[in-house]
Amino acid sequence: MNTLLHLMILFVFPPLLLGFIGKTKAFFAGRIGPPLLQPYYDILKLMQKASVYSVTANWIFRAAPLVSTAAILSAGILMPLAAFKPPVQFEGDLILFVYLLALGRFVIVLAALDTGSSFEWLGAIREMTFGCLSEITVFLNLTILALLSRSLSLSEIFLGGLSSSWLQVGPVLILVVVSSFLVLLVENSRIPVDDPETHLELTMIHEVMVLDHSGVDLGLIVYGQAVKLFLFGAMLVSMIITFKPLDAFTDTALFLLEIIGFAIFIGMIESMMARLRLNKVPFLLFSAFIFSVFGLIVILVRGGH
Amino acid sequence: MFFLFISLFILSVSSVLIFACSRSKTISAGLFLWSLVAACGFGLGSAFSVLCQKAGALPLGVMDFRLQAHIPLGEFYIGIDFLSAFFLLLLFIVTLAAGIYGYAYLRDYRGPRNVGVHLALFHLLTVVMVFVLVAKNAILFLAAWELMTVISYFLITFTNDSEQVRKAGYIYLIMTHAGVFCLVLMFLIMGAGAGSMNFDQMQAFSFPLGLAAILFMLAFVGFGIKAGFIPFHVWLPHAHPAAPSYISALLSGVVIKIGIYGLMRVLVIVKDFPLWCGVGLLIMAVISGVGGVLYALGQHEIKKLLAYHSIENIGIIALGLGIGMIGHAYHQDTVALLGFTAALLHTFNHAVFKGLLFLSAGSVIHCTHTGDMERMGGLFKWLPWTGHLFLIGSLSICGLPLFNGFISEWLVFRSLLEGVFHFDIFGIIFSILAIVALALIGGLAALCFAKAFGVIFLGNNRSSEEQHYDDGDFVFRAPMVLLAVLCLWVGLFPTTMVNFALQGAQVLTGVPTPWALKAAIINPLLLATRVLSFGIIIFVILALLRRFLVRSHPVYLAETWGCGYTKLSSRVQYTASSFAKPILKIFRSILFYKVEALRPKGYFPTEGKLGSSLKDAAESLFFRPLFIIIKRFSRKLKWIQSGHTQIYILYILFLLVILLAWKLH
Repeated sequence: MNTLLHLMILFVFPPLLLGFIGKTKAFFAGRIGPPLLQPYYDILKLMQKASVYSVTANWIFRAAPLVSTAAILSAGILMPLAAFKPPVQFEGDLILFVYLLALGRFVIVLAALDTGSSFEWLGAIREMTFGCLSEITVFLNLTILALLSRSLSLSEIFLGGLSSSWLQVGPVLILVVVSSFLVLLVENSRIPVDDPETHLELTMIHEVMVLDHSGVDLGLIVYGQAVKLFLFGAMLVSMIITFKPLDAFTDTALFLLEIIGFAIFIGMIESMMARLRLNKVPFLLFSAFIFSVFGLIVILVRGGH
Repeated sequence: MFFLFISLFILSVSSVLIFACSRSKTISAGLFLWSLVAACGFGLGSAFSVLCQKAGALPLGVMDFRLQAHIPLGEFYIGIDFLSAFFLLLLFIVTLAAGIYGYAYLRDYRGPRNVGVHLALFHLLTVVMVFVLVAKNAILFLAAWELMTVISYFLITFTNDSEQVRKAGYIYLIMTHAGVFCLVLMFLIMGAGAGSMNFDQMQAFSFPLGLAAILFMLAFVGFGIKAGFIPFHVWLPHAHPAAPSYISALLSGVVIKIGIYGLMRVLVIVKDFPLWCGVGLLIMAVISGVGGVLYALGQHEIKKLLAYHSIENIGIIALGLGIGMIGHAYHQDTVALLGFTAALLHTFNHAVFKGLLFLSAGSVIHCTHTGDMERMGGLFKWLPWTGHLFLIGSLSICGLPLFNGFISEWLVFRSLLEGVFHFDIFGIIFSILAIVALALIGGLAALCFAKAFGVIFLGNNRSSEEQHYDDGDFVFRAPMVLLAVLCLWVGLFPTTMVNFALQGAQVLTGVPTPWALKAAIINPLLLATRVLSFGIIIFVILALLRRFLVRSHPVYLAETWGCGYTKLSSRVQYTASSFAKPILKIFRSILFYKVEALRPKGYFPTEGKLGSSLKDAAESLFFRPLFIIIKRFSRKLKWIQSGHTQIYILYILFLLVILLAWKLH
């Protein structure tokens, strides 16, 4: 039952986040904005469109969206949503989680390279470059969380492992949360790193990479990105809000509310900030890394491990 | 043991026969192929029969053979324990693949070299490498080690008419002999302590910690040169492009792994080291790993790039080994076992996927007649077999799930994270340093192989010359397919290989592993494969959905969208140099990365140039000046070598007199 609910949330809910982000941005711009369910409509529409393929591309180009979405979704079954244990959990699943997301990114990059277009190569290189810088911060943050909750499993870290840590080493967790949030912005190509709205190729990272995809393939990529954002969001909110009601229904509702709040927050950031210049992005990533290093130092000095 | 003798017998007899019939290429090549297959079959049989034994049934030194014929200073004493058997396994697999590929490659060879001698030496190299792995006496070990170096030198310099190849062979010979010096010293110290040159007597002796540290440093330099740790790695990027591809596969897959074996054997013999030895190894591993992959990013010659990746992977192996040593020093058996298992499994995995990558790179070079990636592109369409095999190798070396690299990198991560839980603050700091480094290595390796695979196989061809593409026949492809299947097999069904690595690791920890601990290491991996199978199911569902949707709508083929530009040629594509530029610029403070540009001037510019280069710091800052100093110094000693035989006899006389005086005294 719990597994079914977990899969339901994982498969169905993510595009709604994009809807909330869009609505928030519209609100800040003084517009009514698209309906909340617009991302679902978009994806369904894309599924029904005809596809155009480049003559340069091989099967990698066609298979990549499938592999990427499948990898991101299977990372999703390791992440606890609400207070339910995820369908699969084991010691060290956090490594698999990060590597599955990396697989999802790697195949999309290969697909971009498959077209031979310089624009897409540009995006792919940026995505990989920033990706390998953000991965070290992701691992460092997960190590800190593992050290605090004394567990190597995502479910044990996020289901109760952290509640006492907030009382003992709150400041450390604040640092980790800030640093995770910065990484989230980079990994999911949000403003101030990348602008998912524009289609000006030279300034973008993720969007330019999928420039040649169309129809079903593009629909899958949009969906996969939504799931990725949802997973990072779920990680962040379960890091911040460790309070869990016992009742399954209220718990799920609360979790969904939290994650909608997270989407609105992303929307606010996107409305209030401009994009960074591209060569400043590594500095953002370094500051995220430095934040978690500070967090680590505090833990080690305090001896709370 | 019996199987191993049969295998060695086949190899030595056939190498003599091949040498004898080296006039006829057909006979010697055919003889080579069949004797190789038979010998590797028996060899694998012997490795399996040892590894499949229960740990508790016998002491960890499993099978011994002693010949009481006394060779000077020692005896002919060989034995297979789990550690040797694990390395024998990877030796026979990679030798089999490289050998068959070599046969296919040399079949059509029309050059002036004697193929028979080359093939005979290939067999002899296998024989001496087996002896290095099973020797239980230091003298035997050193003799086999020395022969291994010399024979592999001859194999590397197969095409010795080029200046570059001769230079590469020379560098290899000098570097590895500098290593042998340390090894002789190390074994002499051990032997003097234990009173015997046999490994099991040495193992019974408990070395004081200070001495252990000295022995460790000697072993690190001696074996580290062979294994290719930074800064001793300089021979690798020279030797790999110089050697034929199957020899590169053998070098990278087996010969440098024997360096790792030597280091592990010293860990088994000396047992207890001070904590800082493990920490030192961990730091050197971080430097090798990160440095190797950064240098690889700056290379545009395919085999040089792969050579630097070997250095990176040696770093990953040493991360596991280092954390194992630290765990041992802290008496945390779980961490030690995990670390050693990870190191062993990654050794095996790297041998398999790097063998695969070198062989498929060989096929690419065979067709394009160049190793320069900047002149390749779009080969995926023309070389489908090679392309797919290289893709599998790339995904494995990046450590992505579904492939074998992930399993061993997962184990390394797990051992480091367990280290964070079980060590004191000093150990925690270094474990976390290693975690961050491994994450960085993983990301950079993915970047580097996106570059390699993308530039070689995807996009459009950058070369202006007409090229004849040929994937090769079954004999060419079979060895690569074998290695690719192994990559996927270990990635999807890791139990068998992890079990074998655990068998080897308990030789290093020195205690048989309890069943519960084994289960605690293997069960998570089984759950991980369950997640992967879930992913595969989703993939299949999505693929069916996509098929249905694509079928029901028209599909158009068109040129790649050029954002408004219509006349795009293949020269407008990204190059390998520009691929690596952003990340190398970020790391430019620790690298010698130079971009040289000749900017076009005026309104009608005639010429413009852009090039980037990445210099190897160890080579240009350390070894080059060192050898210049040595050269200057040895020039002053030149007068000793006069070239007259009478003078040399006089030297011998002097020496005898001195020895006599010393003895009488």
